[in-house]
Amino acid sequence: MRRIDNRYVLGIIYLILTLYAAFSVIPFFWTAIQSFKTPRQANSRVPLFIFEPTLDNYTDLWLKSIPDDPLFVTIILVAVFGLLVLVAINAKRFPLPRGYVYIAVLLVGFFVLVQIPEFIKTQTFYDYFLNTIIVTAGTICISISIGCLAGYGLARYSGIAGVIILVAALGFRSLPGMSYILPYWWFGQRSGLYDTHILLIITLVAINQPFTIWMLRSFFMNIPKEIEESAMVDGANRLTAFISVIIPIMWPGIISTALFTLLLAYSDFLLVRILTQSNWTLTVAISKYAGGEDPGHITLAAAAAVSAAVPIIIVVFIFQGQLVKGLTSGAVKG
Amino acid sequence: MNRRTFYMFMSPSLLVMLALMVFPLLTSVWLSLQYMTFRNINEPEFVGLANYVAVFEDLKFWNAFSFTMTYIAISVPLYIFTGFLIAVLLDQVSRRIRGIYIAAFLMPFIVVPVVGTLMVKQLFESGGIIAWAFRQLIGSRFILTEQSVKSLIIIHALWAATPFPLIVFFAGLQTLPHELVEASMIDGATRLRQVRHIMIPHLRSLFVFVGLISIMDAYRVFDSVFVLTEQNPIYKAEVMMLYTFRTAMSVQRLGKANAMSVITVVLILVVLVPFLLRTYKEQTEER
Repeated sequence: MRRIDNRYVLGIIYLILTLYAAFSVIPFFWTAIQSFKTPRQANSRVPLFIFEPTLDNYTDLWLKSIPDDPLFVTIILVAVFGLLVLVAINAKRFPLPRGYVYIAVLLVGFFVLVQIPEFIKTQTFYDYFLNTIIVTAGTICISISIGCLAGYGLARYSGIAGVIILVAALGFRSLPGMSYILPYWWFGQRSGLYDTHILLIITLVAINQPFTIWMLRSFFMNIPKEIEESAMVDGANRLTAFISVIIPIMWPGIISTALFTLLLAYSDFLLVRILTQSNWTLTVAISKYAGGEDPGHITLAAAAAVSAAVPIIIVVFIFQGQLVKGLTSGAVKG
Repeated sequence: MNRRTFYMFMSPSLLVMLALMVFPLLTSVWLSLQYMTFRNINEPEFVGLANYVAVFEDLKFWNAFSFTMTYIAISVPLYIFTGFLIAVLLDQVSRRIRGIYIAAFLMPFIVVPVVGTLMVKQLFESGGIIAWAFRQLIGSRFILTEQSVKSLIIIHALWAATPFPLIVFFAGLQTLPHELVEASMIDGATRLRQVRHIMIPHLRSLFVFVGLISIMDAYRVFDSVFVLTEQNPIYKAEVMMLYTFRTAMSVQRLGKANAMSVITVVLILVVLVPFLLRTYKEQTEER
């Protein structure tokens, strides 16, 4: 559409957009500011913007006691994770396929995270953080593996059964989660799986499966049939053709879907709240800071909210291209 | 691809969905006919339709139902309209600046719902900036009452849910045929008329899509209401999911809670069935 060239109208448009952008981001900035205040500063009658920042809220949230030489510990941690990031960025230069390097980096990083409580006295909040990583990673791995097979089948099969499965899956996905979660709770209680990671992972996989197969199918449909057909002429059967020819060119689609699965699994609240007693993930742990009469709860809640938001913002920042691609392709096809 | 290969590829995913979506739904219907608390999980007691009678006679359930409906009726049109307005305005801005605006607009969409709610709530806490502005403008403290909590829930919905229609409409506007717009310009159509007669018809199917999805999402709202009300019944701001949750987990009437969830599933079919029929038609045509 041709642009508006009237300067005043354009000014008003920018004003409205900026006001709406401010509305979107103000809660983030305000919460971040509050998380660096003492409870007294945070409760002051006039909002403070200039104050001496303190890290107390974060240390209270994450640590039982501050290590004897905090500087040394910080340097070691920054060095270890900095090294891992460096390896990941320079993955191309290693003689191995890039995928192996990334997997190795993720495994080493996870191992370090699990070992940290051996050296530093961490709060339970750190355990919830580890739970979140385990549940999210498990959900992504299982969900994407079985989802790829199904999405590929749905993209290539022209029978009516495929459409029926897709529409039924969409229907089940659109129902309120409560109707599955109460039965899950009952299964969990009867089988003894209640409050375990396994139960969380398989139920999260199931609940997100419709979404995963729809999204992966739309990516597989963009890959021309001729590619695997030529491999099959050479004597490969469909499964080997799928694994050796299709999957390698599907990575962008798989990463997009994995990113959305991550967002869904990371942010799920109701399911985790009902299916766990103490093995919470971050979202459930955070809701505990929502209320309370103690004046300290505001700053602690702010620190908890920032701590849970930062990992997601980092992930989204790294994969922003895939996110926008997934959003627009999936949504407009509707 | 032949049928056998299709089912081979499909089977792991299909089994998961049958075992953990279809089967639980049937279990939920069965559980709704039992009397069950945390004590008799292993031997539920069959009571027939008594749970359904109890739900229909439960005033709190109908309060929750009516607040859910009010919430849908106010918030869904509000954020679809806002999303459309911002998308149209954003379309007028030069490409370089768009990226920054989109990044800002998407922030509430990306952040975890519970965390986002907690962040919005921070503004209204005793030391928060909106609480302060409220004191300056109105001269009294911002207190959580039935009305203010309900408004807070709707403001939060506007904040958290607008990015979805916004980004969908914006992507839709990018596919607007140029010739149509040019032709209308030559005919001397005003901007407003262009929006009315070209954009809105062009985006009609997206409006239906976004509308149906938004209604279904608003219908099952839980996280934000849970955090904002802190499960405090004084505010009378319970939605159906929250009341079902409390009936199951605090009051421990699991049979009754399952009856409620069966009722909520049946009620949403009003919106869900047209949505599925529409998708079915689209997919069979595309095939």
